[in-house]
Amino acid sequence: MMSKVISGNEAVALGVKLSRVKVIAIYPITPQTYIIEELAAMRDKGELDAEVIRVESEHSAMAAIYGAASTGVRVYTATASQGLLYMHEMVWWVAGSRIPIVMTVGTRAVGAPWNIWNEHTDFMSERDSGWIMTFASTPQEALDLTLQAFRISEDERVFLPMMVGMDGFILSHTKTRVYIPSQEDVDEFLPPRKQPYTLDPEDPVDIGNMFQPIDYMKFRHSIHLAMLHSIDVIKEVGKEYEKKVIPIGSYSTLNDSYKLDDAEYAIVSMGAWSLDVMQVVDELRKEGIKIGLYRIRYVRPWDEEDIKKKLGDKQGILVLDRSVSFGRGGHLYLELKSTLPEANIKGVVTGLGGVSIGKDMILPLTRKFIEGNTNNEWFYPSEVEKVELRNPRYIK
Amino acid sequence: MSLGIRDISNKPRLLPGTSACPGCPENIALKAISMALGENAVFIVVAGCSSIIQGMGPKSTYNYPVLNIAFAAGPAAAAGMAKAFKLRNKDIKPVVWAGDGGTADIGFASLSGAAERNDNILYICVDNEAYMNTGGHRSGSTPFGAKTASTPGGKKENKKDLPFIMIAHHVPYVATASVGYLHDLMDKIKKARSIEGFSYVQVLTPDPYGWMFDPSKTAELGKLAVQTCYWPLIEYENGKLFISQESMHCLDKRTRKPIKEFLKLQGRYKGVSEEVIRGLEDYIDRMWERIKSIYEGKVIL
Repeated sequence: MMSKVISGNEAVALGVKLSRVKVIAIYPITPQTYIIEELAAMRDKGELDAEVIRVESEHSAMAAIYGAASTGVRVYTATASQGLLYMHEMVWWVAGSRIPIVMTVGTRAVGAPWNIWNEHTDFMSERDSGWIMTFASTPQEALDLTLQAFRISEDERVFLPMMVGMDGFILSHTKTRVYIPSQEDVDEFLPPRKQPYTLDPEDPVDIGNMFQPIDYMKFRHSIHLAMLHSIDVIKEVGKEYEKKVIPIGSYSTLNDSYKLDDAEYAIVSMGAWSLDVMQVVDELRKEGIKIGLYRIRYVRPWDEEDIKKKLGDKQGILVLDRSVSFGRGGHLYLELKSTLPEANIKGVVTGLGGVSIGKDMILPLTRKFIEGNTNNEWFYPSEVEKVELRNPRYIK
Repeated sequence: MSLGIRDISNKPRLLPGTSACPGCPENIALKAISMALGENAVFIVVAGCSSIIQGMGPKSTYNYPVLNIAFAAGPAAAAGMAKAFKLRNKDIKPVVWAGDGGTADIGFASLSGAAERNDNILYICVDNEAYMNTGGHRSGSTPFGAKTASTPGGKKENKKDLPFIMIAHHVPYVATASVGYLHDLMDKIKKARSIEGFSYVQVLTPDPYGWMFDPSKTAELGKLAVQTCYWPLIEYENGKLFISQESMHCLDKRTRKPIKEFLKLQGRYKGVSEEVIRGLEDYIDRMWERIKSIYEGKVIL
């Protein structure tokens, strides 16, 4: 194990290389571009033993690695924002075929209007697609989760594709110290690919043909069950990762928490700003307020049992969302509310389209929540307050 | 490359009992093509009639491995597969099987991408000139004047000239064929199979239901399309265009069969005006001018 100061994108590219991926489809989209540039460069220098396909769209990127994966090789691609939405059809197709695949999503707002900055809406819009969905909070975690994703996705109790999200720019472009495992350690952790069926003329099988309603429904149920079974697999893989690959992480649970055990209040968040929330927790603890953080790392599967256990007794729960279902509320808030219908949960949508939200903003927001003055709302930092939009109107 | 009797006695990879309609041209094409392709192929079936012809899963009438896939994804999936087979040192040809809608319209970006990259795949477009599986709606490949479910008054635009567009991609091999001439079709598939890189074959598959003719006349329509020079049988290889024997007479306008003979059997052209017929004749004239220019080396695509 060695360490280097690298960005989230570089960390992911290294993770892909260490996973001994065989076919990679690349298509540029900000902010994940550096991942694919790095992989293309590694391939050119002969450091990466994989075929790289420079596809003409994200729809084709997912189709290309799906085609390759169906013959029995390990594959990878990365995308973001409009790119993820453009490949949406194929995202579903892959999960429906139960083909293991790993993809990175460098999260970014969705147009219109054009916006290249961070938000979680692109990622969260895939939560019904049948993919396992995990979200990193540091470049280190982005690397760790990428390596674990191949193991989880290819586990015979799962056989579902898996996407690893990371905050665009905030993680993808920020350099921090990252511990990089050795190839030997990764090889021991990640065995050769397993998958449910492969395409080979010696034993012809059809994938994805027309099915009767009764078979189709049963098949959909199998995806649901695989998603539920993956909870155990994720924990097993996480523990083994800590033991065999990098001993500094904490992957024995799906989601992570900070000073939560004795807390009366909890903040729920996902991704990079969870580290700001940890500072908020420290600050408020100094004032004697018992508060902790529950960090969502896995959106799918949704660890209902753990959430009930860790958050069920809290006096109040504040959920921070960087994405929204218009007219309803933040995605995580809606998920939490359905898991703990009786709890006192408030959801705040903020930081959309790259609006910068840090400790200094989360602190007063949390104070207001503890005082009982927060309803489900959109939180604007002061400079957003000043913006006046021209509403669409009918022109005669 | 000629096809001896030994070559076509390969066991057909299309099993009996398909869900094809009576007189289905795709069924005919599938059977012939599978005999020419031989064993080491994988089919990537793009949404369309052929997704249905194979029958209900988990059973299948295609004795090839098949990856069924959404409309716009076929060539890209085949490209990924080709790379994976290459890695594993397997001589298995990914064969995309798509209709004209999947080819001319929704799947064109991905087809063009695979052609430009010269991916080692064989793309077969079965051209029945409309979205037949959905109920016979016009596609980019529907000819001028044809009545379809979405152009009840006849299509106003000409057929998209896919073979020429594919030639302009500088790929190693482009060919056209018809289910009216199966030996020619099998010859071309055999050649396309042997090519390292991207090859494209477009097969005219007259559809009894969409074109509205008696299901016993599929092969006859396939022949008339060629004899009237509406559908050219050509091959493009290493920068050169060849005209198949069956289409040589089309170079001279005087030896072409009148287009009316092709149209009169089809319900989709029933009662059309002389103007439409002249429009189609114009289309044929211009197409053959172009073919002649390329054939004689005056124009390079």
